[in-house]
Amino acid sequence: MKKISEKPAKYLKVLQNTALITGIFAVLLSVMIIISFVQLKRSDPLNSKALIILNERLSANPADTQLRNEIRELDLMARKAYFTSHWQVRTGGILLFISVLVVIACYQAAGMMAPVIPSMPSSSGNDFFRIKGKKRFSVAIAGGLIILIAATMAFMPAFRLGGNGNVDQGKTTGLTTPATPTDTVLATTGTAMDTTAIPADTISSGYADISELKQNFPAFRGYAGNGISFQKNVPVKWNGKTGQNVLWKKKVPLPGYNSPVIWNDKIYLTGSDGKRNEVYCFDLNSGKIEWTTKIGSPQSLPKVNKETGYCAPTVTTDGRRIYAIFANGDLAGLDLSGRILWTKSMGMPNNHYGHSSSLIAWHDILIVQYDQSGNAFVAGFSGSTGREIWRTSRNVKVSWASPILITNKGRNEVVLAAEPFVAGYDPATGKELWKADCIGGEVGPSPAFANGVIFTINEYSKLTAVELSEKTVQLWEDSEYLSDVPSPVAFDKYLFVTTSYGTMVCYDAASGNKMWTEETGQSMYASPVYAGGNIYQLDQKGVMHIFKASGTYSVVSEPELGEGSFCTPAFANGKIIIRGDDHLFCIGK
Amino acid sequence: MMMIMSASSAVQRFPMPEFETNYSHPDTLLPSPRSEIMLWVDVAVLVIALSLVSWMVIKKRSRRMIFYTSLFSLAYFGFYREGCVCSIGAIQNVALAIVHPGYVIPVTALLFFLLPLFFTLFFGRTFCAGVCPFGALQDLVSFSPQKMGTALKSILGLLPYLYLAFAVLFAYTGTDFIICRYDPFVGFFRFNASFGMFIFGGIILLSGVFIARPYCRFLCPYGVILNLFSRISFRHIAITPSKCIDCRLCEDSCPYEAINFPVHAKTGTVNGKVRKKFIVSVIVIPALVVITGFLGSRLNETFATVNPRVALANDISNPEIMKPGSETRAIKAFRSSGRPASEIIAEADAITDKFRTGGWLLGGFIGLVTGLTISSAFSVRYRKEYTPDKGECFSCARCTDYCPVKS
Repeated sequence: MKKISEKPAKYLKVLQNTALITGIFAVLLSVMIIISFVQLKRSDPLNSKALIILNERLSANPADTQLRNEIRELDLMARKAYFTSHWQVRTGGILLFISVLVVIACYQAAGMMAPVIPSMPSSSGNDFFRIKGKKRFSVAIAGGLIILIAATMAFMPAFRLGGNGNVDQGKTTGLTTPATPTDTVLATTGTAMDTTAIPADTISSGYADISELKQNFPAFRGYAGNGISFQKNVPVKWNGKTGQNVLWKKKVPLPGYNSPVIWNDKIYLTGSDGKRNEVYCFDLNSGKIEWTTKIGSPQSLPKVNKETGYCAPTVTTDGRRIYAIFANGDLAGLDLSGRILWTKSMGMPNNHYGHSSSLIAWHDILIVQYDQSGNAFVAGFSGSTGREIWRTSRNVKVSWASPILITNKGRNEVVLAAEPFVAGYDPATGKELWKADCIGGEVGPSPAFANGVIFTINEYSKLTAVELSEKTVQLWEDSEYLSDVPSPVAFDKYLFVTTSYGTMVCYDAASGNKMWTEETGQSMYASPVYAGGNIYQLDQKGVMHIFKASGTYSVVSEPELGEGSFCTPAFANGKIIIRGDDHLFCIGK
Repeated sequence: MMMIMSASSAVQRFPMPEFETNYSHPDTLLPSPRSEIMLWVDVAVLVIALSLVSWMVIKKRSRRMIFYTSLFSLAYFGFYREGCVCSIGAIQNVALAIVHPGYVIPVTALLFFLLPLFFTLFFGRTFCAGVCPFGALQDLVSFSPQKMGTALKSILGLLPYLYLAFAVLFAYTGTDFIICRYDPFVGFFRFNASFGMFIFGGIILLSGVFIARPYCRFLCPYGVILNLFSRISFRHIAITPSKCIDCRLCEDSCPYEAINFPVHAKTGTVNGKVRKKFIVSVIVIPALVVITGFLGSRLNETFATVNPRVALANDISNPEIMKPGSETRAIKAFRSSGRPASEIIAEADAITDKFRTGGWLLGGFIGLVTGLTISSAFSVRYRKEYTPDKGECFSCARCTDYCPVKS
């Protein structure tokens, strides 16, 4: 294009030169403004080293008025310098604005003096199909790149911010459950967590309601972790060797001392050989492994006792998700189809036998008891996202016990035991509600609860019954029969205790009087479970000691599994799931 | 996204000095809101400006008149009204008002959103031509506009759609009005640009010397909507007032490269292969929408971290941040409120949930735009004349000066 001069060329030149000089001035001003901006960002007049030193001196000698004045002067200078820089930026900005205005005015004026005359383009850019092709190609590349970046961010954990869980509608209502001021005492059933204790409006689709939980076996020692099963038609006779009443028997891919849990027609458990951590889902009816989900890749192994292994903690479910934890502190939330919703490293537990505390869920909050050496705590995590909701430090020694849930005077509590105390916490906030110094040693058994009384037990310590009234009151204690692994179970008026060396004892829960004792002579690591009016106690040889849950010892049967077991059985309607040393057994009629 | 995230940390206020005397700190003075009558004056000015420019574009075809009007708009809507309320930012008010029943959009803000669309529907993008202060400012510095390569132009052309999608998503989730927060020019209008915005605005203006209206073409989210409306505008500016003589003088007249060149049937033919590709591209669009929608929903938690409440909940859940001494002011403020942590976490979960729904819509929208852009590039529309691209054309009327046909 050509330009023609309609005005004297000298005016045009002046305008162009003015625009050029002012433009250079504007660029220089911009640089200065940027430098001033950077200086302002860096300067921190209130925290200058000199002021800090002088302030420290003044603290040592508050009466020094001369020093006080010096500080004031220095403070004033620092503030002045700061605000002067501000003024410089602002003034520079105004000058820049004016200079840009001049450049624009000169340029526009010059443009009016020398308007562009239309001319024929030397070559036509009208290659329509080539342009369209380029457009298609470049947009496809850009679109593909956007999808690639989004997919990378969506699926690679390193790019994800704040976890990767799905969020279920209504789940958060469970976080703010107000305590119901009704004094619900569970005298008739003797179980923890009565339905009436949880306001109905807090039960949402984000987690199963109480009736669903009771119909299943959602945690170590069942619903609320208290050793009570609500199942009916529970088998009492089988023979693992002959196959009598054994519906199926399947090998578990990786070893583990955790116990199975049951949700509807699925069984969940974990296995680990230290190199691989896996969560399994078995079909209750066929024994088929529905899915296996690998959780992380353990980079380093904790020191564990061979009787603890790498996956002693039992998984739990809130009916919508499965939660698992392993000996290296890897914690995971999965949906019921085995898809990992989130994972979290709790840090390698400082636990000389290996971490074994099982998980439990309250509403959609996953509760983790992490009683390790030096930094013990209990924490609540959002079940859907894995986000830590609360964490409460615990001044306790290492423990291997698992949390249980109770309802104490209408208030939901999670109860934990470790030396030196048993304590109750608000499962929504983690606030410690009460504690009682009543236990010592390396605590392995979990507490039991019935009729407002907490029972704790540990080897080389004692068995105690603590009433949770306005204050915690120790009702009685006994030191004759103590357990270091199996947890007690309290039902109705009785407390059933099993020792690791195979003695089963029944106490009157209110007085502590021994009702009966029975020595089996077999080692026992599994915890007793109440089901269908009987207590089920598995010994390490695989013999199930089934007796009436009453004040008189009355054997129902002693069926054999045909395989040793360390694990506590799980109960489905009409079926019992037992994890043997190598196999998973389904007992039923 | 990175910019949004980095800027989400709050600006530190300079604390007041402590005095030992009886000095009393003056009350903080806040500017009083603009009176109702003045808000309606703004609307009236907008209507008059739109009417005038539309008349200048359609009837007078005068670039110079439009230019002078744009100077007035820059002075009034830019420096006098300090860039607020603006039609571009009003997108967010509208989005929030649609999804949030508790939010009542001011009628004047709604009019600022609707009136330019209304005029565009009749006369093309006359708002961009001479009423928008952003466009006017960029036009002033457009000293030496250069042609851009097709590839770069096509790729950058996707940005406004992305920006619009994110702006609506963040408004819908009550997170932020990012169009206002990252407005590159408002800091200049108010003489109070932050360092980041000074640099960002400066880069836009400097690039505007060589690339005509870079913000309008490659960022403006309102331009996306105006583009769609303008395509179906009732009366749009034409390069020639009567019959095009195919003189080619206007070919280089548009600094925005928004002129459709004639495509004669003899120029090229659409063979079966191209036609097949076009059909395939159209069929693929729904799949693309689902894939990008799914990816958008999967990124809900990443997007949600921009939300201050989610960020606070994340901080509260982070034991490192919660260590005594390393708490942020937000955490201290939250603690002093006495609310349980579970409450803010529940709130954050609900917001994250909203981001999942929003992520579906955002992703789906981006997939749709990409798919439609590709498939439209397969289509061929034969034309005998030089015509403005009704969607892209800012109706600035520069091309009319180049046309030798004057009546």
